[in-house]
Amino acid sequence: MSVTKIFFNTRLKIMMVLAAIAGGIIAIRLVDIQVLRHQSYLEMAERNRTQVIYQTAPRGRVFTADGVAVATNAPSFSFYYLGAGNNDPAYLEQLARDFAPQLKMDPKEILSKLQKGVKTGKAILLAENLSTKSTVALQELQLYYPGVYLIEETKRTYPYGGFASHLLGYIGSMDDREWRSRDVRMGYRLNSKIGKNGIEKKFEKELKGSDGGVYLEVDYRGRVKSIIQDKKWAAGSDVYLTLDFKLQQAAEEGLRNSKTGRGAAVALDPRTGAILALASAPAYDPNIFVQYSDEENPKKSKKINEYNLAVQGTYPPASTFKVITAAAALEYGHLNINHKINCPGHYDSGPRVFKCWGTHGPVDLFDGMANSCDVYFYQIAAQTGAAAIERIQRKFMFGRQTGIDLPGEKAGNLYGPTRRARNKTYWFIGDTLNLSIGQGELLVTPLKLAQFAAAIASRGNVYRPYYVDKIVSNQTGKTEILGKTEILQKSDLKPQTYDVLFKALKYTVDHGTAARVRIKGLDVYGKTGTAQNPHGADHGWFMAFAGREGEEPSIALAVFVEYGEGGSSAAGPIARSMLEAYFGIEKPMPAAAMAEEKPEQTGAEFEELLSEEEDGVF
Amino acid sequence: MASFRNFSQPSGRSRLDYILFGAMIALVLLGALCIMSAVNSLSFSNPVVRTHLVALPIGALAFFIGWSFNYQIFDEQWKFLYGFILALLIGVLLFGSYQRGSRSWFVLPFFSMQPSEICRVCTILVAAAFLDRSGRRIRDVSTLFGLGLLLAPIFGLIMMQPDFSSVVVTFPAILVLLFCTGINVFYLGLIGLFAGVAGLFTVGWTFIYLHPELTDYWFINAFYQLAHSPWYMLGFSVLVILGGYGAWWLFKQLRIFLPSFYFVLATLVVLAGLLGGIFVDQQMKPHQRKRVETFLAPRSDPQGAGYNVLQAQIAMGAGGVLGSGLFSGTQSRLGFVPEKHTDFILAVVGEELGLWGTLLVLGLYLLILWRIIVVGYSASDRYGYLVCSGIFGMFFTYMLVNFGMLIGIVPVAGIPLPFISYGGSNLVASLWALGVVQSVYARRIRA
Repeated sequence: MSVTKIFFNTRLKIMMVLAAIAGGIIAIRLVDIQVLRHQSYLEMAERNRTQVIYQTAPRGRVFTADGVAVATNAPSFSFYYLGAGNNDPAYLEQLARDFAPQLKMDPKEILSKLQKGVKTGKAILLAENLSTKSTVALQELQLYYPGVYLIEETKRTYPYGGFASHLLGYIGSMDDREWRSRDVRMGYRLNSKIGKNGIEKKFEKELKGSDGGVYLEVDYRGRVKSIIQDKKWAAGSDVYLTLDFKLQQAAEEGLRNSKTGRGAAVALDPRTGAILALASAPAYDPNIFVQYSDEENPKKSKKINEYNLAVQGTYPPASTFKVITAAAALEYGHLNINHKINCPGHYDSGPRVFKCWGTHGPVDLFDGMANSCDVYFYQIAAQTGAAAIERIQRKFMFGRQTGIDLPGEKAGNLYGPTRRARNKTYWFIGDTLNLSIGQGELLVTPLKLAQFAAAIASRGNVYRPYYVDKIVSNQTGKTEILGKTEILQKSDLKPQTYDVLFKALKYTVDHGTAARVRIKGLDVYGKTGTAQNPHGADHGWFMAFAGREGEEPSIALAVFVEYGEGGSSAAGPIARSMLEAYFGIEKPMPAAAMAEEKPEQTGAEFEELLSEEEDGVF
Repeated sequence: MASFRNFSQPSGRSRLDYILFGAMIALVLLGALCIMSAVNSLSFSNPVVRTHLVALPIGALAFFIGWSFNYQIFDEQWKFLYGFILALLIGVLLFGSYQRGSRSWFVLPFFSMQPSEICRVCTILVAAAFLDRSGRRIRDVSTLFGLGLLLAPIFGLIMMQPDFSSVVVTFPAILVLLFCTGINVFYLGLIGLFAGVAGLFTVGWTFIYLHPELTDYWFINAFYQLAHSPWYMLGFSVLVILGGYGAWWLFKQLRIFLPSFYFVLATLVVLAGLLGGIFVDQQMKPHQRKRVETFLAPRSDPQGAGYNVLQAQIAMGAGGVLGSGLFSGTQSRLGFVPEKHTDFILAVVGEELGLWGTLLVLGLYLLILWRIIVVGYSASDRYGYLVCSGIFGMFFTYMLVNFGMLIGIVPVAGIPLPFISYGGSNLVASLWALGVVQSVYARRIRA
């Protein structure tokens, strides 16, 4: 071999340049993978190696104002075998035998599950939804058998069943859309339950808490290598309602046992506007949604009555509206309250004769209110004029939403000549007369009427009703006050007008149709109503407010019984039991209460009332 | 490139290129550490660690043998070397042990070896010798055909094992060698065309094989039938010949005068590519088809074929810039990265040493490649130059395929990363190859 000159060094250079370019491309891609996408790859690596057995955090509880937990959590246990520990067959058999009675399973079944776990090395779920009773024994057994793991979870329960179910709402599995709008970072898992309605939905973020879990390190085959972390859950915040537990319960019981079982009862605190009770019947039991697997939950049981009659049902207020008519006559009609008007049982308006429900003879304002004499109110309405009545309606914000924080609230309907004029139709004297006794196109919700009662009781404060008082964090102990008194409008009637109205309503309770709510030791003011229903039986109304004797009123309520026929007979007892529950008064003997009834009560109603109470409702 | 020029100046009496040597030692040490980390054991009783620690001194010995022997002896005795290769390859076919679907290992009582690793370096030495001996006709077509005939038995024997990945590394190395020989680029282009046509057919057919529903389209079906129906093959051949004639006619009309045998050759090469493609297609094993599939669509089946690459990338990505530290990468330690101490060792480097680790390995490789070129540049004879080009081609291919596989630009080929990956035969052969390069350096042109 001769020593020759260097050959073709250009080509060597080309190769080196190629190598450098290749190196550059590789380096860029390495930076891309290891720096730019580091985070996502790191997450993938973490996901690769960790398996989490989640523990659902207890949802925050819901309390009534008097401290009764109406939505709380029950412990629920799951039982895992984590594959670590002794894998001796004899040991496993022993384990299966010892645990079988506690898990209420066949030892063979447990053994086969255990063997599968040992073979694959994976974490095996042995049993779930265990009752608290069996867990005490299981916890003890757990000490003797390393490798088994008892995982505590919680499960939503509503201890009083359908208590305020329309307010509380319920929880359930997420649907596709709800899942898409949440993600893992918010702490949701695919099988997480979320609030679907009511408070559960509105305060989902606060109630939720953060789930805990047992974090396992697993290898590429899913075999458990070690327990990385046993993260304890953090419970959600508690929500305090303004509801009065006994009052709400009395309202619900009363509605459930009423003639038709359909209706609503709303009670407000006339000093603050806080809702003391809001019941709607029929109600539902939110517990049926809590079952952890959806298969156990038959579809038909999900058909529940979510219709909240208290805010979504609109009805004519009937005779309860006579308070407005009286107020209009007092304000604008120069009404002489002692002037007696003769009630012959009918009123001749000219084109038509309007009937009264009875023949009352000469009545003044107090008698008229007490006996709910239609002729009296026809007369004063005809004297005062419909425009004044409409004006008073506006002062109490009829035909407007109460502004309560509940979905689907109906505004009802204001009725009056201005409204007619806007619709370019005529207003007749008959309309005035209809309006005066709360019939016709006038529509209110039970909540609206309760708001009105509270406005009268507080001498003019039209409140925005609220039912959530505060949220208390279980982690920091911080309290967030949500319930604030908000006066939407001040109905500035003359003080004398209120005085007269108070006197008339008290007279109605003491000597008139609202006698059912006459309770010793209380100043009760009330008015019944029977809404004529062209489609069926009449609706019963009862509007009242009350305070301890000599004190200002501390509760205002409206009770409505759909197709209940008589305001006094259907809604009255419910109002009475609500007042008794609220003021903590022992229920007097039914016979004594009956004896004080006005003679206008028919015998049939008597018996009906008696039989109701003998059933042992309370 | 100024550094190339400076190198022809006297560089003392050094007989060892310290930069090349240092880079090599660094890679070997890093590799030993990473292998220990990958198999998750500091103990020397682990079979992998033990084998590697036994292979290291043997490799050192091979390096010193390669360095101290005058490399020209391979030029002198190339026929014996050629015979040695054939003997080894025939021997492994006769006496080798059958593992994982191929017969490529000698299993002896105390150790086992893979002869194709040594053969790869020897093949380069033989090819360089053949080219050097063709003297003035080194750039002729006849030399090219001669070389083809010479190497055909070697490739044939390797394919009979079959050891497809060995061919994947050796063939580009030979191409680089030919390129540096100064051969007409047109011929290289023809070889590339041949490989391209064969590869295209193979990849296409494999893809259709894995997705039978595609044959609903008539042209895809026709393409697929090429592999199986002689009538389709004949028709295709006629089309190619007509195409070649047409191209010749077109160039003539355009007054672009090229030697007419170019067209004949191109036509023949395309046809040969078709035949080669058919041959490879019929030789391919299902797992190799799966690899092609993985390359074509790595994320289509993350739990299946694409799983390996994805897991390796997750490991590298999770390492970030600084890495999680040796012995603490979860991806490799918990077995998510497959073949973590052999082909995918870079994933371990990436996860545990981070970007700095992978860039260090890449940098050391580029350093080695640069030094090999510098050595080839300063070689005292043509043979030394050719040997260096061939070995450069070999390491370049290793680097390209192994890194490329991890970053997803090359299909998974089951090719280790020399010096870093576990594998005694590969380590010994690679160290020997660098020894030979050092030998060329030691006998470089003196001032």
